[in-house]
Amino acid sequence: MQSNFDRRRINGPEESHPPLYDHEEEAEPSWKLGQPRKGRAAGDIRPIFLKAGLISQANGSAYIETERTKIACAVYGPRQSKTTVYNENGRLNVEVKFAPFSCTRRRAPIRDAEDRSLAVQIQQSLLPAVRLELLPKSTIDIFLTIIENDGMEGCIASGSVAASAALADAGIEMLGLVIACSASTMGEDVWLDPSEQEAQASSGSLIVAGMPALGTITNVWQSGNMTPTQVIQSMEACQERFVDIHTIVAQALLDNAQNT
Amino acid sequence: MAAPSTSKAEKAYIQASLQASPPLRADGRTLLDFRTILLETGVAPLANGSARLNIGKATQEGGGGTEVLAATKLEVEDVETGDGVDGGRLVCSVTCSPSAYPHMSSIALDELQYDLTTILNQTLSHPSLHPKNLSILPGKKSWLLSLDLVVLADAGNVFDALFMAARAALWDTKVPRTRAIQYQTRRSGYASKNTDAMEVEGESNITSGFDTRDMARAAADFELPDYWDEGEVLDGRDRWPVCVTLNLLPPVHFLDATLPEEASTTIKLLLAFSFPSNTQSSLQAMRLTGSGEVVLAQMKLLMADGERYAREVFHALELKLRDEDIRRNVKARDKFTVR
Repeated sequence: MQSNFDRRRINGPEESHPPLYDHEEEAEPSWKLGQPRKGRAAGDIRPIFLKAGLISQANGSAYIETERTKIACAVYGPRQSKTTVYNENGRLNVEVKFAPFSCTRRRAPIRDAEDRSLAVQIQQSLLPAVRLELLPKSTIDIFLTIIENDGMEGCIASGSVAASAALADAGIEMLGLVIACSASTMGEDVWLDPSEQEAQASSGSLIVAGMPALGTITNVWQSGNMTPTQVIQSMEACQERFVDIHTIVAQALLDNAQNT
Repeated sequence: MAAPSTSKAEKAYIQASLQASPPLRADGRTLLDFRTILLETGVAPLANGSARLNIGKATQEGGGGTEVLAATKLEVEDVETGDGVDGGRLVCSVTCSPSAYPHMSSIALDELQYDLTTILNQTLSHPSLHPKNLSILPGKKSWLLSLDLVVLADAGNVFDALFMAARAALWDTKVPRTRAIQYQTRRSGYASKNTDAMEVEGESNITSGFDTRDMARAAADFELPDYWDEGEVLDGRDRWPVCVTLNLLPPVHFLDATLPEEASTTIKLLLAFSFPSNTQSSLQAMRLTGSGEVVLAQMKLLMADGERYAREVFHALELKLRDEDIRRNVKARDKFTVR
């Protein structure tokens, strides 16, 4: 940590504690086995707001909002690789940044391990879709800024959707739009698109990314305790939702293309 | 992770021979064969549990293979003021020795370490696998179990090696027994004495409302009743998962890839399974890495196959670990009594 100290920034006090709010959510008893889901059905996802082309400086961009997850994504490129090493395939570079105010606890504006683990998952979701073999010697940079964070699962899923929308907005050739969806197991049930609280209460969670246009899966991330049957069940449930999300992304891209 | 010098022709050659019927591999294995796995526990004398694992050591040359060293270390953490969490916590870290990846820049090596650390940490420190005996004083003190893995050499299949070594080291871990103690003022005098928590007599007839002695009744500190190398095994040590990496080269998949084979397959499916009993199985982690796609139907078959392979690996490893337990504890004790 000491080596990462950056005196040009306002680093804040050395020791700080997040304030404890008297949450109404916390006053409510947390989820118990057998209870139905609050606010929506088990197979429902949160409403998605997606708008392409909000960052004029970038070649392509998208902003996504699913209730308390808010992510801005910008795509730069394809541009010439800075490294001199020849590569016949293009490089897809994904960087994720949490805004310092994005979480309950302030995040220091220094890159940490979690940024990278999210970036790796988002890159994996997009990599099979982007036609990098058409872009030798070049790099595509994708920058994601997480403005508000509501669980890692939601961030990876929404981030992948936003990034693929931004790639399409930048006019980069892809085999199909990448759509991602997450699911958590709560007892016997599968809840789609869990919020942070729900994911924490669950026994295991899963993120699937794929191209609904081709019916393929590009990324699977699973953690926690799930039986193989539950995993397949959740993957099927996520794939069913892919079509709905795909429509939203296609509509957002169409709107942006018609307006400009 | 791929070997730096695998040409396109070499890759095509390896792919073609893997897809041929019957499939051919450079070392004569079938698609589902593992290389020889060597395992030894208790290799780090100062650690609470340790293991050293080698996959594919060349017997003639006395070297080679993927070599991983895993060790656990316990630390006391303060829950109230420090970073501690009530009930203890498990933190994993993976270090890759630069000698295992001589062709990698230090930045790339750092990123590889991050990625390996992330998957181990996300899988092993998940609440569903949390050992129950990492608490010392509820709400006050707890154990921090750090699991550190070092990749000493990489000859392919590093994920499986890491998970197996982690499981062996956690299996080997002994948590020191602790006993809560409290300080109590004697009713009559001012002298304080150390009392075992179990032996404190019931204080039933408190008369004064100003009597604050009851406040300090909770255990204040702890002591270690036995020697540092004794202790109880970590709770749920037979639950730790094993990982199998399925290297996909449609229509076939193969296990335990060497470095050139890894370089010639584009997509890998990692499955970490845990088998709490003979009939149950639970998936603890799943990752898809590489630039290829799969369809759901194919995924189902792969998961079913993966479960079968993982079960074999899991049971073989458990057998070996029980064997190591006997070698290190029972036989060592016998030898000591004879002397």
